[in-house]
Amino acid sequence: MAALPAKERPVRRRPRSPAGGRGHEPEAPLATGPFGHPARRNCLEFLPPGGTQRCLATGAGAADSLLGTRSKPGEAATCCAGALASRPLPRQPRPRASRHPCPWHYLHVSGSHDSLAPTCLRARLHRRGGGSTPDMASAMTDRNPRAAEASGTYTYTSRPRAVPCQRRRYRDSLLQPVEEPMNYGNIMYDRRVIRGNTYALPTGQVPGQPDPLELQRQQQARRRALARKRAQAQLRPRTPEPVEGRKHVDVQTELYLEEIVDRIVEVDMECQTDAFLDRPPTPLFIPAKTGKDVATQILEGELFDFDLEVKPMLQVLVGKTIEQALLEVMEEEELANLRASQYKYEEIRNVELAEVQRLEEQERRHREEKERRKRQQWEIVYKHNETSQKISARAFAQRYLADLLPSVFDSLRNSGYFYDPVERDIEIGFIPWLMNEVEKTMEHSMVGRTVLDMLIREVVERRLNSYERKEDTQPSMRSDDVFSGPGTVKDPSVSLELQEPTISQQPLLDRDSSQTIPSQERRPMEEWDPVWQNDQGELKESGGEELSQPEGSWEPGNHSAAGQ
Amino acid sequence: MPLPDTMFCAQQIHIPPELPDILKQFTKAAIRTQPVDVLQWSAGYFSALSRGDPLPVKDRIEMPVATQKTDTGLTQGLLKVLHKQCSHKQFVELKDLEKKWKNLCLPVEKFRAILELDPCDDKMEWIKFLALGCSSLGGTLNTAMKNVCEILTADPEGGPARIPFDTFSLIYQYLASLDPEISASETETYLATLREKSESRKNGMIGLSDFYTGKTSG
Repeated sequence: MAALPAKERPVRRRPRSPAGGRGHEPEAPLATGPFGHPARRNCLEFLPPGGTQRCLATGAGAADSLLGTRSKPGEAATCCAGALASRPLPRQPRPRASRHPCPWHYLHVSGSHDSLAPTCLRARLHRRGGGSTPDMASAMTDRNPRAAEASGTYTYTSRPRAVPCQRRRYRDSLLQPVEEPMNYGNIMYDRRVIRGNTYALPTGQVPGQPDPLELQRQQQARRRALARKRAQAQLRPRTPEPVEGRKHVDVQTELYLEEIVDRIVEVDMECQTDAFLDRPPTPLFIPAKTGKDVATQILEGELFDFDLEVKPMLQVLVGKTIEQALLEVMEEEELANLRASQYKYEEIRNVELAEVQRLEEQERRHREEKERRKRQQWEIVYKHNETSQKISARAFAQRYLADLLPSVFDSLRNSGYFYDPVERDIEIGFIPWLMNEVEKTMEHSMVGRTVLDMLIREVVERRLNSYERKEDTQPSMRSDDVFSGPGTVKDPSVSLELQEPTISQQPLLDRDSSQTIPSQERRPMEEWDPVWQNDQGELKESGGEELSQPEGSWEPGNHSAAGQ
Repeated sequence: MPLPDTMFCAQQIHIPPELPDILKQFTKAAIRTQPVDVLQWSAGYFSALSRGDPLPVKDRIEMPVATQKTDTGLTQGLLKVLHKQCSHKQFVELKDLEKKWKNLCLPVEKFRAILELDPCDDKMEWIKFLALGCSSLGGTLNTAMKNVCEILTADPEGGPARIPFDTFSLIYQYLASLDPEISASETETYLATLREKSESRKNGMIGLSDFYTGKTSG
C-alpha cells in the first residue's frame, strides 16, 4: 500500500515525470490505446530508445495511478507527505497547492475526493473533443520538462483564445449535421472548482468512510484482470521475427490509404482585394538624377508672392461671379420676359374677351331681330294664304251656289213652299164651304123636286081621277094614260128626264171649258198632285156649276139659300 | 489654429464670406444696367448700397441701349431708375438729382436742357421732372404720356399699365401748358372725354389702351 502512492506520485505530477514530458495528456495514450500511433510518435520524440515499451509502461502506470487515487484518496494524501520526505525533489509547495484549489491546475486535488476519477475522465473526454490545438498549446507550454522541474512548481497555462462560436452561423451541408462539441464551458460550473468559503470546505476526508476492504478487493480484482490481459497479450501469436537483413515495417491494412502526418494539416486561406480598385497611382518615373546638387537657402516667407498667389483665386472668384451673375441675369430676364409677355397676352385677351362679348351681344340682338322679322313675315304669308284661300273658296261657293239656287227655288216652289195666301185660303176655307153649300142646295132642290113630283103626282092623280070619272064616261081613251101613268110616277128619274138635258148639258160645257183653261196653268204640277188637280177640277166643275147654277136654277129661293 | 504671420501658400489667403455675394449682386446690376461709365456708376451703386438707398439698377435689360452718340442717352429704364430713387419725396433737390443723374452716366447738358423747359431753382417737384424727362424721350405728347404710364404704374410689366386719372390729368395738363401749340380748351375737352371713359369703366384708373392707340409697347 505504501509503494503504490509512491509510484503514483510521478505519474500524477506529469510535468516532473519523464513520461510527463508529453505534456498534460496522460489520457492520450489511454484513449488511443497502448499501440496508438500518435502516442508512440510522441514518445519517440522525447524518448528515442525503447520508446514503445516505456510508453506502454507509462500508460499502464498512468492507469494504475488513476485507479489508485480513486481507490485510496485519503491514503494518497498521507502518502504524499511520505513521498515528499523520501524524494529529494523540491515538492514542498505541492500539498499546499493541492489544498488550495486553483482552477488552472486541473489536477490539483490529489486525493481529495473519490469523485476525482469521473471528473478526470470527463476532462479527458473534453480534451479529446477539443481537438489538437489545446493539446498542442499545453504541450508547448510544457515542452521543456526540465525547465518546469527547475522552476519547481507545477504550472498549467493555456493560451487565451477566442471562444469558438457555440452555433454555426450557417449550415455546412444538409446531409451532414455538424455537431459542434462544446469545448469549454463556464468554469464556475466545473465540479472540480470549489465554490464558496474555502475554510469551511471539508478538506480532510473522514477516515474509513468508504469500505477499505471492498476497495482493496476491487483493486485486487482489477489488478488481476490487468495481469490477465498482459498475459494474453504475451500469449498472442505474433509475427515471426524478420529474416536476416530485413525488418518489419508498419503497413496500413485499411481499405483506403491514409497519409499519416505528424503535423496537423494546415490550409492557407487567402483573401485579396481586387488589384485595380485601390491600386495607388503609379509613381512618377523619376530618372536617376545626374549632375550636381546645388542648394540655396530660402528665408521664411521669401517664396510667397501674394499678388502672384492670389491671382488664380481672384480669377476663379471673378470668373465664377461673372459667369454666375450672367447666368442669373439671363434667367431672371427670361422669367421677366415670360411674365411680361404673359401679362401682355392677358391684356390682349381681356380686350378680345370684351370684344367677343360685344360681338356676341350684337349677334344675339341680330338673331332676335331676325327671328322677329321671320315671324312677322311668316304671319304675313300665312294671312295672305288664308285670305287667298278664303277668296277662292268664296268664288267657288258662289259659282257652285249660282246653279243651285234656281233649282232649289224651283223645287221648293214645286213642293209648294211658296204659295198665294188668297188662293190657299180659297182652297182650304172657301171651297169646302162651297161644296157643303152646293150639296145643301142640291138637297133642297131634290127635296123641292120630290115635293114637286108629289104635287105633280097628286095633280096627275086628281086629273086621272077626274079622267077616270070622265072615262067612265069615255072608257077607251083613258086606258093608255093609265098604263103610262103609274110608270112615271114610280121612277123619278124618268120623270125628271124633262129637265135633264139642261142640267147635264151645262156641266158638259163647263167641264170642257174648265179642262182647257187649267191645263194651261197647271201643267208643271200635273204629276205632283193629281188630287189638287182633281180638286181643281172639282172646283172648276163646281165653279162652273155654280156659275151655271144661277142660270140653271129656276128658283130664286135656292140662290138666296146658297148665298147664306 | 491661428494662422502664422507669414504666408506660405495660397490656401492661407482668406476671402471674406460676404464678398462673393456682394460681388455677384454688383456684377448682376452692372450687367443689367449696362452703364456707359462703369466706374462712375459703381461709385453711385456702392454709395447707395452703403446708405441703404434704392440702388441705381434697372429692373430689366434694355436692349436698345442708349449710346449718347446719336440720341440723348436718356431711356425709359433710366427714368424708371430715377423714379425709383426719387419718388419717395414729393420735391427733389436739384443737386441731389444731378448727382443721381451723373451716377447713371447721363450727360449733364441733357439735365440742364430739361431744366430749362421749366426753370426753377433749388427744388423741383419730382413728378414734373419725370414728365419733362418723358417728353424728352421723344415723340408726341401721347408717347410721353405712355411712358409716364409705364413708369408710374403698379401693374406688372406688359399689363394694362393703369395709373390714377388725377395723376394722368395733372401731368397731361402740365405738359400741355408747356406746349404752346396745344390750347387749353383742347386739353380740357380731351381730358373730359378720357375722364368720362375712365370713370365709367375702371373706377378712376386710366390705362394705356384708353388713350394710346399707336403701336403697342414693348
